[in-house]
Amino acid sequence: MKMLRFAALGVAATLALTACSSADTPSDDATTAGGDKTPEAAEITLWLAGGDTNKDLRQYLKDTFAAENPGSTLNIEEIAWPDLVTKLTTSLPDEANTPDVVEIGNTQSPTFTTVGAFRDLTPLYDELGGDKLLQSFVDVGAVDGKNYALPYYFGSRYMFYRKDIWTAAGLEVPKTLSEFSESVAKLKTDTQSGFAMGGQDWRNGISWVFANGGELATVDGTTWTSTLSDPNTIKGLEQWQKVYQDASNLPSTERDVAYWDFLNDGTDGTPPSAATIMAPGWARWSIGDITKNDAGEEVRDGMADDTKFDIFALPGTDGGIAPVFAGGSNIAVSAKSKHPELAENLLRIVFSKEYQTMLGGAGLGPGNSDYVSSLGDDKFAQTMIETAAASKLTPAAPGWAAIEGAFVYEELFQKIADGGDVAALAKEYDAKLTPMLNGGAAG
Amino acid sequence: MSHDAALGVPAHSGHAAPGGPPDEPPAPRRRRTPAAPYLLLVPALVALVAGLAYPVGKQIVMSVQKFGLEQQFGQAPTFVGLDNFVRVFTDDALWAVVARSIAFCLVNAFLTVVIGFAFALLMRAVATPVRLMLQVCLLLAWAMPMVAGVTVFKWLFDYRTGVVNWLLVQLGFDSFAGYSWLSQPFTFFLVATIIIVWMSVPFVALSMYAGLTAVPEEVLEASRIDGANGRQQFWHILMPMVRPVLSIVLLLQIIWDLRVFAQIRLLQDAGAPVSETNLLGNFIYELGMSRQDFGGAAAVSIFVLLLTVALSWPYVRSLMKEDA
Repeated sequence: MKMLRFAALGVAATLALTACSSADTPSDDATTAGGDKTPEAAEITLWLAGGDTNKDLRQYLKDTFAAENPGSTLNIEEIAWPDLVTKLTTSLPDEANTPDVVEIGNTQSPTFTTVGAFRDLTPLYDELGGDKLLQSFVDVGAVDGKNYALPYYFGSRYMFYRKDIWTAAGLEVPKTLSEFSESVAKLKTDTQSGFAMGGQDWRNGISWVFANGGELATVDGTTWTSTLSDPNTIKGLEQWQKVYQDASNLPSTERDVAYWDFLNDGTDGTPPSAATIMAPGWARWSIGDITKNDAGEEVRDGMADDTKFDIFALPGTDGGIAPVFAGGSNIAVSAKSKHPELAENLLRIVFSKEYQTMLGGAGLGPGNSDYVSSLGDDKFAQTMIETAAASKLTPAAPGWAAIEGAFVYEELFQKIADGGDVAALAKEYDAKLTPMLNGGAAG
Repeated sequence: MSHDAALGVPAHSGHAAPGGPPDEPPAPRRRRTPAAPYLLLVPALVALVAGLAYPVGKQIVMSVQKFGLEQQFGQAPTFVGLDNFVRVFTDDALWAVVARSIAFCLVNAFLTVVIGFAFALLMRAVATPVRLMLQVCLLLAWAMPMVAGVTVFKWLFDYRTGVVNWLLVQLGFDSFAGYSWLSQPFTFFLVATIIIVWMSVPFVALSMYAGLTAVPEEVLEASRIDGANGRQQFWHILMPMVRPVLSIVLLLQIIWDLRVFAQIRLLQDAGAPVSETNLLGNFIYELGMSRQDFGGAAAVSIFVLLLTVALSWPYVRSLMKEDA
């Protein structure tokens, strides 16, 4: 039986080995040290969040950067939105692994700017656009009058709908929020959501809060208070609960859903899974009938058939436009970057007229207001500009990124979607959120 | 190890082979202790110290510091004594996670070992070609990269396009049309258990099979002659003889299942009530990486270390006793 024990030990040893093999991949230190005065040729890394910055934009950045900085190259890495905060937390403080330039969600900016994660860009501020830059985004990236993160692009959300289905049901574009709720409720069947919305999708859901004059949190001096229990907020949350329950077939746990898939016809021309969705403007390019692009790949035609696909802005409670969540990103240079001059050169390209115009062409609101016209003047651009003008940022509280990282609002909205008592939940989550908003991670 | 003396088979090692030499206590001998064994231990010790001592030491230090995002970005941490422990342990959320983790870990570990053992017995019973096929299948499941495995399970259980819901509906359970498995903690953990058991069974099955092959055929033959039936053979011969393997496999499963992290995280990404489905590993990750409370996360980690030691202590002690 000694043998058996040996077998057991062998097993244990194997395990110890497998356990060790999962260590982090070593960082390849492609960047070289130095470069204090004159930018030494090197490779710098840009982290882009999600896929919003499309292939053409990326290629332009790479090509232009290489051309303007002979010998240097730009390496672009895409980080998924849900991983961004944790990746930044671990990489930014580490000189050997930090990306040089990072895109960061506008509302995540304060968390990092307040701890000194980013390089002071104040000296460059005027050169990169100064007062022309979108001020609400500049504000969330500034601490004590110094600029650390600047607006990269802004976006907003509006409604995409199946005009054919709405028309067949005898429905027109709604004028008020309650009209919208009634219409989408009528369009719900067992296989089709009148309005496809995941239960955890608070980024779309807070539009109902804003539309009713509610807020997620307010600030008094520097102290943040969660205001879910505010009567207006509760009213908005209850309306959203009703819309979700009456019009959506999606599970209450869904978040970050690729809603545009729901609006397209299924394979073999089966009917779509939803009559209406809410999405950022660039979702347009994932909607429509299938066609072939120049390279012969199958792509969506971008809603070319306007009797079938159309858009409208979410209406307010008394008409007009409901304020939606102002999406968008800031861009910043890591304080630990070994090549800050090259990083700043990259920012010069990002804030150049050419690139800003290209952003607009891709449906992303350029950070510099001079170039907003590059969005065009079709209905997509107009709706985007209108909704963006009416949009609202989430609280720029120091603890905001931690709240997003802990999925607190996801949970709250799921509980509401599951039919929970809104007033009681609001009270419960106010108590949870207020300390977190004030950076109460460690308190 | 306790003695299972039924059928006259002594279970203690050293008595294993019937008819072997009589067991004598080794005569005490006096020898100079050679240096070589200790020298040979040095590389292992160095590796252990380098690989473990630094992170664990750092963790202990961080657990008594206020260590948040500011400190991560270079500010000096302040010493706060046991504040982190007090704060974390007075939070009911932690105890819910602890209870959930222990329950999940025990259920999974026992299920895995029972199913794995059953597979091992099956492999012992079937003809060689069938056994080889079984082994290859088990190895493939074992070799499947974890992320790929979980992704496939996520697809299987998808509420819209998943095969599981489709099958259930085809079988007449219409209420499963669009059923969201990951929405409720109970069904979430059901899916998680299926994934984890599926991934761990091959290891247990192959280890146990190795253990079973080492059982001498003569003993079984002798018991057959004495009239033992299959059940008696299993409980009184096979079980006692593979117990060392069984206990270490169970111990390892308990330790692994207590620290299960990635499978849960990946499933949560598919949409789940996060705080109600967190296990200890996920809780620590969320506390440290998402809420940037590194001090609190370090405190919980130390607690988990102690918990692992406490849970596995009976097994470790029995293993050490056997070796003594």
